[in-house]
Amino acid sequence: MASEAKKETTSLPEKALSEIKSNFIDSNTILVQRTLRAGQKIHFNGNVVILGDVNPGAEVVAAGNIIVMGNVRGVVHAGAEGNTQAMVMAFRLQPIQLRIANHITRPPDEEEMPGTYPEVARIKDGVVTIEAFSASGER
Amino acid sequence: MGEVIVVTSGKGGVGKTTTTANLGVGLAALGHKVTLIDADIGLRNLDVLLGLENRIVYDLTDVTGGRCRLKQALIKDKHCEGLHLLPASQTKDKTAVSSEEMKKLCQDVAQEFEYVIVDCPAGIEQGFRNAIAGADKAIVVTTPEVAAVRDADRIIGLLEAAELRNPKLVINRFRYKMVQQKDMMSIEDIIDILAVDLLGVVPEDEQVVVSTNKGEPVVQDERSRSGQAFRNIVQRIKGEAVPLMNLNQNGMLSKLRRIIGLK
Repeated sequence: MASEAKKETTSLPEKALSEIKSNFIDSNTILVQRTLRAGQKIHFNGNVVILGDVNPGAEVVAAGNIIVMGNVRGVVHAGAEGNTQAMVMAFRLQPIQLRIANHITRPPDEEEMPGTYPEVARIKDGVVTIEAFSASGER
Repeated sequence: MGEVIVVTSGKGGVGKTTTTANLGVGLAALGHKVTLIDADIGLRNLDVLLGLENRIVYDLTDVTGGRCRLKQALIKDKHCEGLHLLPASQTKDKTAVSSEEMKKLCQDVAQEFEYVIVDCPAGIEQGFRNAIAGADKAIVVTTPEVAAVRDADRIIGLLEAAELRNPKLVINRFRYKMVQQKDMMSIEDIIDILAVDLLGVVPEDEQVVVSTNKGEPVVQDERSRSGQAFRNIVQRIKGEAVPLMNLNQNGMLSKLRRIIGLK
């Protein structure tokens, strides 16, 4: 797996590569192979990858990034120890509350469009920004 | 050895006891030997729903405390041959029984009956842990409300932690019209969050209140729609594939049809 990842990244420019390395490649990552239901909580000092949903009432707190291969309807907190570079990525991003480092956000109270495509949340210019996720997009 | 099924929900008032009573009567009506255990110690009401309140002499805590034999505490149902009730105590509380005692009790009852259905109290404390202690399977009841679904989700997580996997879901008090007007969560919305198998959907029905007060479970009422829903659930518990009933029967035309007997 590691060698495969390397093969892909070698074609990227040197600067982008080092940036990806510093931000995203971290051996301290756990894989959670289930849905987190109400009342269940994960607290981890690294990245968290969830193969399932994060249901309302569930909570994920990670020092690093959070990636959810499913629907986020609960509370997620990436970069919980102050890493403002941390991000949250999900197939469907509809959190009750989304926190990155010391920024706390929630969806607007008005009716908003439910996300129907993968999105990524990160801090840009001091504001938590949610954008459509594209694998080839700028990082 | 019979099957021990716990009926639970987390939230109160969604219809655990009503579901327990109806499934019990429904299964017994098909000739099965069934015992209902009321695990809601201190707040018993399964006996009231079955109209058996005035026959209680011994209760669950008397059995676990060794003050009587199991046979003495079991009450025969007045409508249904083969249905028995083990009532809860009204004067004690949840701490009067331990999980081990409940487990042993469920095993003892399951020796003699095909189905043992345990009515779980609301909440996630000792009462809940007792009720699920001896169960082989779980039925989670919810209503199409955000709070009830949230609690059901929590309960399913706790059931999984207790090795009770693949609980089945009953959606109670479903209102087709409100769902159509997008005022209520749809079946799909609920399944999307809970991700468990659907056992049945029971439509909102005023008749349930009437039958509950009379102590005659609605499952025996041939004309009631909620009764039909419960009869379908009973069939599914027995392992038969029954399609979901048409929930859209609140229109004038279908009402008229029902009145003149065209169903």
